[in-house]
Amino acid sequence: MAGESTDAVVTVRDLRREYGETVAVDGVSFEVRANEVFALVGPNGAGKTTTVEILECLRTPTGGSASVLGYDVTEDPRTIKERIGVVPQSFHTFDRLTVRENVRLTRQLYADGIGVEAALERLDLGAYADTRFAALSGGYQRRTGIAMALVSDPEVLFLDEPTTGLDPAARRTTWEQIERLTDLGTTVVLTTHYMEEVEQLADRAALLVDGETVAVDTVAGLVATYGGDVRLVVEATGDDAAVESALREVADEVYRDDAGDLVGLFEDRSAAQAAFGRLHGVGGDRAIELAGAGMEDVFLRLAGGTPDDRGELR
Amino acid sequence: MTRVRPLLVALSRDWLRNREAVFFAFLFPVILLLIFSAVFGGGTSEFTVYVQNNDVGADDDPTDLSATFVEALNGTGALSVRPLDSDRNVTAWSRGGGPSGSVRVLVVPDGFAEDVRAGSARARRSVILDTLNRTGTANRTAIQGAFDAADDANATASANATGAATVTFMAASDDEAAPAIRGVVESVVARFNERAVGIGEPPARVETTDLGDRTLEGADYYLPALIAAVVMINGLITLPTVVAQFGADGTLKRLVATPLRKRDWILANVVQQTGLALVITGVMVVVARLAFGVTVVPGPLSLALVALGAVAFTGLGMALGSLVENAEAATSLGMAVALPTMFVSGVFWELDLMPGFLQTVATVTPIYHFHRGLRQLMVLETTEGTALPFAVLGIGSVLSLALAVRVTKWEDF
Repeated sequence: MAGESTDAVVTVRDLRREYGETVAVDGVSFEVRANEVFALVGPNGAGKTTTVEILECLRTPTGGSASVLGYDVTEDPRTIKERIGVVPQSFHTFDRLTVRENVRLTRQLYADGIGVEAALERLDLGAYADTRFAALSGGYQRRTGIAMALVSDPEVLFLDEPTTGLDPAARRTTWEQIERLTDLGTTVVLTTHYMEEVEQLADRAALLVDGETVAVDTVAGLVATYGGDVRLVVEATGDDAAVESALREVADEVYRDDAGDLVGLFEDRSAAQAAFGRLHGVGGDRAIELAGAGMEDVFLRLAGGTPDDRGELR
Repeated sequence: MTRVRPLLVALSRDWLRNREAVFFAFLFPVILLLIFSAVFGGGTSEFTVYVQNNDVGADDDPTDLSATFVEALNGTGALSVRPLDSDRNVTAWSRGGGPSGSVRVLVVPDGFAEDVRAGSARARRSVILDTLNRTGTANRTAIQGAFDAADDANATASANATGAATVTFMAASDDEAAPAIRGVVESVVARFNERAVGIGEPPARVETTDLGDRTLEGADYYLPALIAAVVMINGLITLPTVVAQFGADGTLKRLVATPLRKRDWILANVVQQTGLALVITGVMVVVARLAFGVTVVPGPLSLALVALGAVAFTGLGMALGSLVENAEAATSLGMAVALPTMFVSGVFWELDLMPGFLQTVATVTPIYHFHRGLRQLMVLETTEGTALPFAVLGIGSVLSLALAVRVTKWEDF
């Protein structure tokens, strides 16, 4: 992950967007710092796409303010568009043009940028450069979208649900591509409902629920603040008295889960790690697992559920 | 403007690789041109008439007079005369076992020649006696007596003569061409009668003169009409479908996310469609020349009118494509507007064939003025009457582009 900087390249203050009676974004605020990967996280309908499309100058806000690279989204949209790259949700481009032709077209719409071949190479698209967009798999189509967004050498790259609908292999490849971008110093703003994606890619994240920002912090900070206790899970064997006793001495709370295994809860991760070593001595060969809290726990606590594969809260 | 060129190239490439669009822009109008020109403009039509000549001599050959009559029928140019055996039962033959299509038969009866001669003598005598009555000639009684004596002699010699020679024209009651064919036959009979009574030059006659220097063939009529039609179809059906598809699948959103302006997007589409219209015009002119020998060469004014028509319909097409949310709806909407307009505008047939109120409706459609103007410029090679088409399409272009600018979304999809 990229190192942090305090220079804000995106500033959002009390952003609001209504569609008639429906309020899609209701007072969202956050900042994105230079050279970081920032994730807007939330289930479907949380206001992620509306927020990011306002920042991409594709939508107009009905309240609050938003600026990108110091330019107000309502006053200087063309200046902003010249300096950002965008991969919209459900990205699509000219079906009957090849990958190279699509990337070249995008390059020609910007005043500055990198070479078409360089963009193709950066996304490992050389072998598919002369393939028509419609003939590509979903993963390569998404990769073409990122190449088109990169060819203008943007200072900020917006990726709206970059891996939704992709198979696990294509998703992992896309993550690798995004990680490579951050190595080149590009600031990335992505929206996602995949918690694993946030943990893998993001430096910081804003959690949106029902159009409101419920938390903004580093991923580690969010987990520490909202993720809850670290769990130490000890396999039950029938002769658990000694190990249960040892666990109760160090854990804040001990209970048996649905499988009958012993679970010890620790507020402090270092205490859990110390207990992990000690119980290995007492428990013998039984399996002991240290299960740390993650973004899923954060989500569970703040949104009241976790998003499924389609982004619906379950 | 620097962004229009690459977008224009991309739109053109994408379009040329779209088989449906290419079919409707090039092959469809060429097919229509070939069909309409061949069916409705393939030169003078001839109606087939079967003639059963029962007036034969001892050697079974037709008598001279009946043969002359049949030759006169054949010489009109309107009828294609085919012989029918004398022993054939016409009614049975026409109902079964006859040729396909409408059957028309003209029966020349046995004794035709004798009846003609007898009728001719009566007619001549009647003319002479009528003339004597009018002039009050002194020898009238003597001449009358001589005619009566001759009648007696003729009655003995022409025992078989039945009076007026009568040919029978037979056709089905639902044969729409029958009245016209009967008219041709009657004109031949009239001419035949004049000759039979010795009238070399009839007192009154009809003369035919060409209205212009050249005759309009079917392809001449349909070429400008189909150019106008295909420009309209491209603008109102193909373009809205493509634009709506770009909007629905996210291609347009991706473009909007770049520094491209709305005006660049509209301008690129207008230039692409205008160029396409001019290319289609060239293709159709070449096809018309190769297939039908049409020698039309579109001049600058013709091309200007084609370009103006393309701009007008492109503006409308972009507006339609922006108003609907999917390609299927755009196609349906475009067809709902374009097809009725095309059929009432006189593209495929002359307005004179339509009811009065439809003729009025036609004159308020842009395509009516479009193809009328093109016909004046391309075929009749005159600028007369083209001010109105230029004005209609010019104003239409301004209004449709204004509408396209207004309804094309460039934010808040």
